[in-house]
Amino acid sequence: MNTIPKSGINARMPLLPEKASITRVIQETPTVRTYRLVFDDPEMMAAFSFEPGQIGQMSILGAGESTFAISSPPSQKDYIQFSVMKTGVVTTAIHELSAGDRVAVRAPMGRPFPVSAWKGKDIVIAGGGIGMAPLRSLLMHLLDRRGDFGRIQAVYGARTPADLCFAGEREEWERRDDVEFIATVDSGHADWSGRVGVVPGVVESMSPPAANTVAVTCGPPVMIKYTLESLEKLGFAEDQIFTTLERRMKCGVGLCGRCNVGAKYVCTDGPVFSLRDLRALPDEL
Amino acid sequence: MRFIAEDAIPRLLEHLAGGGRTVWAPRVARDSVNTVLFAPWIAGEPVETGAYTHLSAKATLLPPTERLFGFSYLQTAGEERIELEPEEPEENHVLFGARVCDARALAALDALFFPAGGGFNDPGYAGRRSGLTVITLACTTCDSACFCSSFGKGPAETDGSDLILYPVANGFLAEPVTDAGSELVRLDLFQDSPLDKPELAVTDRIETAGLREKFIDLFSDIDLWRQVSEKCLSCGFCAYACPACHCFNIFDEMSGDREGERCRSWDSCMFYSYTLETSGHNPRPEIAHRYRNRIGHKFSYFPANRGEILCTGCGRCIRGCPAGVDIREVIRAVQER
Repeated sequence: MNTIPKSGINARMPLLPEKASITRVIQETPTVRTYRLVFDDPEMMAAFSFEPGQIGQMSILGAGESTFAISSPPSQKDYIQFSVMKTGVVTTAIHELSAGDRVAVRAPMGRPFPVSAWKGKDIVIAGGGIGMAPLRSLLMHLLDRRGDFGRIQAVYGARTPADLCFAGEREEWERRDDVEFIATVDSGHADWSGRVGVVPGVVESMSPPAANTVAVTCGPPVMIKYTLESLEKLGFAEDQIFTTLERRMKCGVGLCGRCNVGAKYVCTDGPVFSLRDLRALPDEL
Repeated sequence: MRFIAEDAIPRLLEHLAGGGRTVWAPRVARDSVNTVLFAPWIAGEPVETGAYTHLSAKATLLPPTERLFGFSYLQTAGEERIELEPEEPEENHVLFGARVCDARALAALDALFFPAGGGFNDPGYAGRRSGLTVITLACTTCDSACFCSSFGKGPAETDGSDLILYPVANGFLAEPVTDAGSELVRLDLFQDSPLDKPELAVTDRIETAGLREKFIDLFSDIDLWRQVSEKCLSCGFCAYACPACHCFNIFDEMSGDREGERCRSWDSCMFYSYTLETSGHNPRPEIAHRYRNRIGHKFSYFPANRGEILCTGCGRCIRGCPAGVDIREVIRAVQER
């Protein structure tokens, strides 16, 4: 497995963030905004590298620090992107930010999707709600290396059409003929001509063959639960299925204690786990 | 062996504190009659070489609250920028009067905050730890809450200490463990002595064999965890008193609206809010879940990750628990299941 790359986190002072600035804010849905940012230190920005699935901590100094999946792909060298749902104290403060505002970032952290082990395989991606953020990074990364993989199928679901993020990217994925992409909503709308139905159902309807295929899912717990059931019904084995976990985190480097599930820390042993790894953990999600 | 007389201890402390060095020692807490805590020693003030400290010595390395860095928002030529000021690590020099249970917990904390093989270093911890001399008082007596004989060499453990002082009539026999300890016993304050080391305390014991796997087997036995945590108030005292508990919170404090500091403070997995997520979901909503995590971390998870039990048998969590929860009874209940 991968170890934490040292580039973005100060190994000598792991809790000290790097100064960064917001370059663009995109209103994705009524409650989700995407923030593009750059490190103020150009050398740090140039040296920054990560892999899809890794996470970062964004601070508003004075309000606090929160953990987010990096939603941009590694090939995007101009900025780092976090998509933030407004839910708590820090995310509400982040939603007040606009381009030019100063923040601080610690990234990357955690173990990424083991993409290099997926060469030559077919890939199925199933994302729901804000859980699509790390999968956006992953899907864009797979498309950057399109030749390395077989068939790529992706489903992205939200409650209503207004809750779907990444409008521009969705349009591109729908248009491309080297990825089978379906956006779906739990309940439609007069203007919605797309699919209506929950993510696990759509995954089943695509009936991806399990042989030589890897499935990746991230989203609300109930969606993950039923998607795992659907994938197992389709014949996927535990080590062919990957997901990313979320836990309340503070330090991000395996010291502060709170994100453990059994002996594993989501911040350093995860957030990416295979279903096999996950089932070996005590049931405390 | 070398010997130091009881009345030479103040002079030893003065020597240790020379050159402005900080010496942490057990002292009666301010405004208290019998609460003994580790605190920086002040010349002329007594130290308590015969008392148990109510809290462990970990505050010498991990203060209850510490500043990680300061920050300020500055306006220059109409443009806002941030200034970050990392805290200069403090240095400690001597921990005097630690008990074996305090000293051996340092190895566990070192493995996390100051790993010998590299990895992440915690600058606050590393600053206070590097160059720290640990002078340990061996225990010839114990109380009913002590259970350090359950682990390794028990009261005879030398791990984590530089010098061990064994109480004998009118003073202490001094046994160096490291070079720093050997250097100290060469001082004139110490004399050669024909005395033998005194008999050490024999404490209560718990059986820890097989606990790591047994815990995992019993993880889903929620009735057991509800039963053993029935009295627990979830107050978190046990974590604060523990020499090995080290979980922390991180938070920002503003002073005015242009500057502030990021701090960390002791935290406890016994608190409801410790794992509470913004969505309202809490993976450990019940006291039983949280107490199970406390036991799991000490006797199963940490041993799985680091090969060591994260409990040294100091008994402070037992002496101080306002509800009378006794971790030994919990372990016995687990072992008997």
